[in-house]
Amino acid sequence: MAAGFKTAEPLEYHRSFLKENCRSDGRELSEFRTTTLNIGSISTSDGSALVKIGNTTVICGIKAELANPTVESPGKGYMVPNVDLPPLCSSRFQAGPPGEQAQAASQFIVDVIESSEMIQTEDLCIERGKLCWVLYCDLMCLDYDGNVLDACIIALLAALKNTQLPEVKINTETCLPEVTSEKKHRLKIYRHPVGASFGIFDDSILIIDPTAEEEILLTAQLTVVTDEEGRLCSVHKPGGTSLSGEKLQECITRATTRQKEIQKLIDKVIESVKTAQ
Amino acid sequence: MTSFTCDESVSLCEGNMMEVCGSTDSCLREFGCEQSLLSRPDGSASFVQGDTSVLAGVYGPAEVKVSKEIYDRATLEVLVQPKVGLPTVKERSQEQCVRETCEASLLLTLHPRSSLTLVLQVLHDDGSLLSCSLNAACMALMDAGLPMSCLFCGVTCAIDADGRIITDPTAAQEKESRALLTFAVDSTERKVLMSSTRGSFSVHELQQCIAVSQKASEKIFQFYRDSVRRRYSKTL
Amino acid sequence: MRRRRSRRRVNACEAGFPNSVEMFSRLKNKVGEVLLPGDEFCFDTDDTISLTESVKAEKVVCGPGLRRSGDRLVVCKSGVLRHKQPNVFWMDAQQKRYVPAKGETVIGIVTTKSGDVFKVDFGGSEQASLSYLAFEGATKRNRPNVQVGDLVFAQFLIANKDMEPELVCIDGSGRANGMGVFGAGGLLFMVSLGLVRRLLAPGSEIMSDLSQLFPCELVVGMNGRLWVKASSIQRTLIVSNLLQSCENMTATQRRELFKRVAQGAL
Repeated sequence: MAAGFKTAEPLEYHRSFLKENCRSDGRELSEFRTTTLNIGSISTSDGSALVKIGNTTVICGIKAELANPTVESPGKGYMVPNVDLPPLCSSRFQAGPPGEQAQAASQFIVDVIESSEMIQTEDLCIERGKLCWVLYCDLMCLDYDGNVLDACIIALLAALKNTQLPEVKINTETCLPEVTSEKKHRLKIYRHPVGASFGIFDDSILIIDPTAEEEILLTAQLTVVTDEEGRLCSVHKPGGTSLSGEKLQECITRATTRQKEIQKLIDKVIESVKTAQ
Repeated sequence: MTSFTCDESVSLCEGNMMEVCGSTDSCLREFGCEQSLLSRPDGSASFVQGDTSVLAGVYGPAEVKVSKEIYDRATLEVLVQPKVGLPTVKERSQEQCVRETCEASLLLTLHPRSSLTLVLQVLHDDGSLLSCSLNAACMALMDAGLPMSCLFCGVTCAIDADGRIITDPTAAQEKESRALLTFAVDSTERKVLMSSTRGSFSVHELQQCIAVSQKASEKIFQFYRDSVRRRYSKTL
Repeated sequence: MRRRRSRRRVNACEAGFPNSVEMFSRLKNKVGEVLLPGDEFCFDTDDTISLTESVKAEKVVCGPGLRRSGDRLVVCKSGVLRHKQPNVFWMDAQQKRYVPAKGETVIGIVTTKSGDVFKVDFGGSEQASLSYLAFEGATKRNRPNVQVGDLVFAQFLIANKDMEPELVCIDGSGRANGMGVFGAGGLLFMVSLGLVRRLLAPGSEIMSDLSQLFPCELVVGMNGRLWVKASSIQRTLIVSNLLQSCENMTATQRRELFKRVAQGAL
């Protein structure tokens, strides 16, 4: 009975839950799904992490390559993040070139990396104007159940914290780079941006961490990214119905606490990886 | 015969063009807008903010591809064409912002199973491009006579190194700024429809920027009104 | 000059407001003004009702561009607010894309012939169907002679957002009443929907100015398509160019132009 109601009238179905201040999966309105984190899941990459928020699964692998710095900024390396939403993760995505959502997500990740200054690209430079590191950050969604942006940011942050780069020196005689794979150093992460996504239901009800089912019915979405100092790195609301100042403040407060929770989680996982070694 | 076709083109040129805002205390650059300047699209508008200029064209409600058909509302597609080269990931993200803002203000349920296409051609980018695109989009949608529940406008604010807020920045001001925030504001409640940010800023700065944008939106909406009034002046 | 005038009926929604006398006067005050989407008409709920004036429950009929939402009346298209006695209000917008409305007459082009129905393109979001029986004197035996590519002047029998639009070439009593397939010759061209409405308005100045030039046959479709036929091709072209140039001219500019044409500037 309930299943039929859900298929025929999804909006009414969710409304009847929200009327009682709860959601169809038993969560409260301002409750995140369980977030699990696994660091170093891909042994062949330079850094990796797997994040699950409820059913949503995103894996991030980081590949470091040596390259020439760009002409505009000879003293800097660079990062190339890419978000992939393959047909595997949901029936709503087709094979072929990335769709609008994947491209918009990629751009969002680029913006977050730049705005938060989580990494100083000067650190990636090996020799000014000659050699630098390029970090290819590939984020792939394995299971799409809403709120992919939050998962992407956490996966990226955790993978970067996990990244180890070998030491590189340029041989003065041959002018060729020499890589010492034994000597590895960790990447320095300056800021820890974490996002919190919100949805607006029926133009007024604010819910947190929407599932894929809920996402379709939402009238607006909002993602707030904050760092550990409580500064905002991004307030991304691509459109939809309007949001009052008080509601926005509520979102920001929730995002700051979320940042603390996630940073604690990342630290805990890194600690457990260290002790296991 | 040729004499009056010539007349017509002259009257078209001066017909809908108007400029206001002597940017003294308003902090907005000089605005310009011309509606229905293209003959083929169902609605068109060019919007100029200082040296930034965007041309918008709307087609629809027109026949929809079966794969994109939505049974209870119109399908809106937004295409952003950069000044040079092919659209990149950055344009895609702008498209998403403009599309979802338009979707919120248009009454799409009045034209089910049809398609609306909004094409935005960037003519020149001298800062505040996203807000100029939003303004051009709104004027073009209005020109096409599509049913809308409210209007919207875009305002860009830049926060410079000293923490000062500059509205409608130029490309040079954008480059020097510490943070750049673009908002879309609706005309009925002056609430934020869209927000897109770059750089880091405090909560207080965000709220200040929203307040400044809401204030600036009044001027833009007044400009919209003057501009439309000018357009209809001949048929009054 | 023969002119086929279509009777215009607006897709009206009746709004019986609790305090509609006031709403009426508020609307009346704004007639002829340019309004934008999002402009509202609402009333203060605690308004005192005067005892001396008789309060009639007047209804306000809203035409295109006005919508009722709760206790407010919201404008949803930019344009000029117009009023027709006694209580009809609508927004006069300059629009190019046609949205069908029941009872309006349009010029369509037959695109396909499939079984019992023709598909007709009228410039809207989907094609309309036109039954072969919907012509004057048509029976199952006696089919009308309609070919793909022909122009038809027809009226909407069904036009709403949820159904396929249907055209007919007969009126309620089965008479053609000016509708049907066009003959050979003539010129079809497009103008804005605002100009079409101005042409069809009772006592239209453009029409009276035009009728003084020379005789011609003019068919005006509400979908912005006009069809003209005059004694020579040159004259047909003159009329079509004149009408197209009327789009962006003030009354004085237009009279000046018509005078020049009448004096034989060509």
